[in-house]
Amino acid sequence: MDWLFFGEISLAGLAMGGLYALIALGFVIIYKATRVINFAIGEIMMFAAYLFLAFAGGMEMSPWIALPLAVIGGSILGGVIEKTMIRPMLGESPISVVMVTIGIASILVGLVEFIWTADPQLLPNFLPREPVFIGELYLAPKIAYGFLIGSALLIIYLLYFRFSRGGVALRATASDQAAAYSMGINVRRVFNMAWVFGSLAASLAGVLVAATGGLSPQFGIIGLSVLVVVIVGGLDSILGALVAGVFIGWLETVAGAYLGGEYRMPATFLVLAVILVIRPYGLFGTHEIERV
Amino acid sequence: MFRNILEKGRRLAGLGSLVAALTVAAPAMAQDKEPIVFGGSIPLSGVFAFAGIHIHAGLTDYTNWINSQGGINGHPVKYVMEDTAYEVDRSVAAFKKISGSSSPATYYGDSTGFMKAIASELNSQGNTLMSGASFATVLTDNETYPYQFIPGPNYSQMFGIILEYIASQGEGGDMPNVAFVYSDTEFGKDPIENGKARAAELGIEVVEEIVTKPGSVDVSAEVLKLRRVRPDYVVFHGYVLSPINEFMVQMRQMGLDTQFMGTFWSSDKLIIDKMGADADGYMGVMPYNYYDSEESGPMLDALRAQAEKSDPEAGYRPTGYMQGWFNAMVWTEVVKRTLDAGKELTGDNMAEALASIEDWDTGGIIGIPVTVRDMSFPVGRIWRVNADEGRYEPVSDWIHLD
Repeated sequence: MDWLFFGEISLAGLAMGGLYALIALGFVIIYKATRVINFAIGEIMMFAAYLFLAFAGGMEMSPWIALPLAVIGGSILGGVIEKTMIRPMLGESPISVVMVTIGIASILVGLVEFIWTADPQLLPNFLPREPVFIGELYLAPKIAYGFLIGSALLIIYLLYFRFSRGGVALRATASDQAAAYSMGINVRRVFNMAWVFGSLAASLAGVLVAATGGLSPQFGIIGLSVLVVVIVGGLDSILGALVAGVFIGWLETVAGAYLGGEYRMPATFLVLAVILVIRPYGLFGTHEIERV
Repeated sequence: MFRNILEKGRRLAGLGSLVAALTVAAPAMAQDKEPIVFGGSIPLSGVFAFAGIHIHAGLTDYTNWINSQGGINGHPVKYVMEDTAYEVDRSVAAFKKISGSSSPATYYGDSTGFMKAIASELNSQGNTLMSGASFATVLTDNETYPYQFIPGPNYSQMFGIILEYIASQGEGGDMPNVAFVYSDTEFGKDPIENGKARAAELGIEVVEEIVTKPGSVDVSAEVLKLRRVRPDYVVFHGYVLSPINEFMVQMRQMGLDTQFMGTFWSSDKLIIDKMGADADGYMGVMPYNYYDSEESGPMLDALRAQAEKSDPEAGYRPTGYMQGWFNAMVWTEVVKRTLDAGKELTGDNMAEALASIEDWDTGGIIGIPVTVRDMSFPVGRIWRVNADEGRYEPVSDWIHLD
């Protein structure tokens, strides 16, 4: 066994898993607060990455200005979607709401094809290009720096949810909407905030992933890969999103390296199947018991 | 005397008028004949739209050009198409609609999936010859697909051309080695087995095979695998752009002096436009001259003039445009040969006409005369990116496989 190779592969997988965790966090924040499974998360990522392309490529802004602008743009998009398309669906069946998010995804794909055409794109280089070595282990610079930026946002989020008034309101609404409402929390505002924060995390991940793997209107498919992460971790668990994101990223990469690229997805779906059998609510998800 | 001259002048003027009238009338007479229909399932939207819109432009411009030349043996050409969004069911529906209403003699299929799906219906109808965006090896199986052809080398033949080029770079009996990197799709896997067999015949060692997920993916783990085998050449297949850029950039960051090559759909100028200086040295196999190459010829010049006429602002025309134009050129040649032989435009007759193409001068679209082999044109050339010039330049002679 070549342990150096295993170490390098694992490091690459863990770093990629960090980005999966960030996307999953966006997914979980929205689900936790509003109980909406957002199938448009991948397309929100895609839209933010195209915004970055427009700002840094088309308008030739500094990437470090374009990055926050694109991320804010993606989060505003999330807020607008919630206010105009999701909120009117309050009280409707969950399937209807899911169908709305699928429709939104389709609209966003059409919109980017209309604005930016269907051509495959590469984002302007904005991350350092010098190889990163951790001891003797090589790590691709885009993945390494992408992981660092993503981790910084993760830490800010965790601190915000733990200590800020907004974070407490969000957690309270997630635990019990009626109780939160009776305590004076503006639940509708919390819903909107959840979409804004969830979309913000997804948008940052979108730009970082697109910087590594390129961008096209089909970019949003990555959202489906992340669905595996959130189901394994637990749909309503932030800890689950983080742990499962890192684990699935590592597993996918190791399976790809040792078994071949065609085994990446089967490996992760095998884990998903096992988890669904053992813990249907995910590793860290809430086990809801419904009595009929 | 003066009256005599005047009389002769009048007669000449009359003759001139008659000639002029006939010249003007000729295209009008052509319009009187039954039009020959080129049909098409064209992906103007969806995942393949980046190429589809240029394929459509190539087919449209060629149709306009051939009609300006009097059509095919006096028959005007009509191009009828439907957008398919690169979905097989929509392509099939478009084919049924167009074949039902317009009886196309030839048809452009937008994908391997569609061309395989429609084969039985095409065979039972027996009155349409089909080619399209696909270079799939399987479509050159004449038993199953007697009315379909490849407008260039198939993917296995492209690998054959690439491997012949690589073999020619071996010095002093030291044959370069190669790694294949391909997407986990039918498209990506197409030439791999034949490519490995051909590499073995040429004495080229395939030191690694990398399969990647299609779409936007991180390939740093795959790059680490390649670092360990240090291939002289990496041949990509099944991609348009990503992740070719990441392989090239990361492997160069690691100090490897590997050369990178790709097949038709990953050898467009898009690679240069998007990768910039990082694309320098990338090589592709291409059966047609690039629009902005220094090559010329009567048909290539006509293509450039028609492209300029139809959209003066467009500038460079991608390989999809060249491919669309060449498809229509072959259809024209096949229809002409069939009509010249006094035969009906049936699938059998047109397939026979296609198979009869030998040492055909394409007027500069392909740099050497071409001969059809097993319903394909097994010819190509290796081109290398010159990033400073922003274009591909030829680094090999034209290679025509037997």
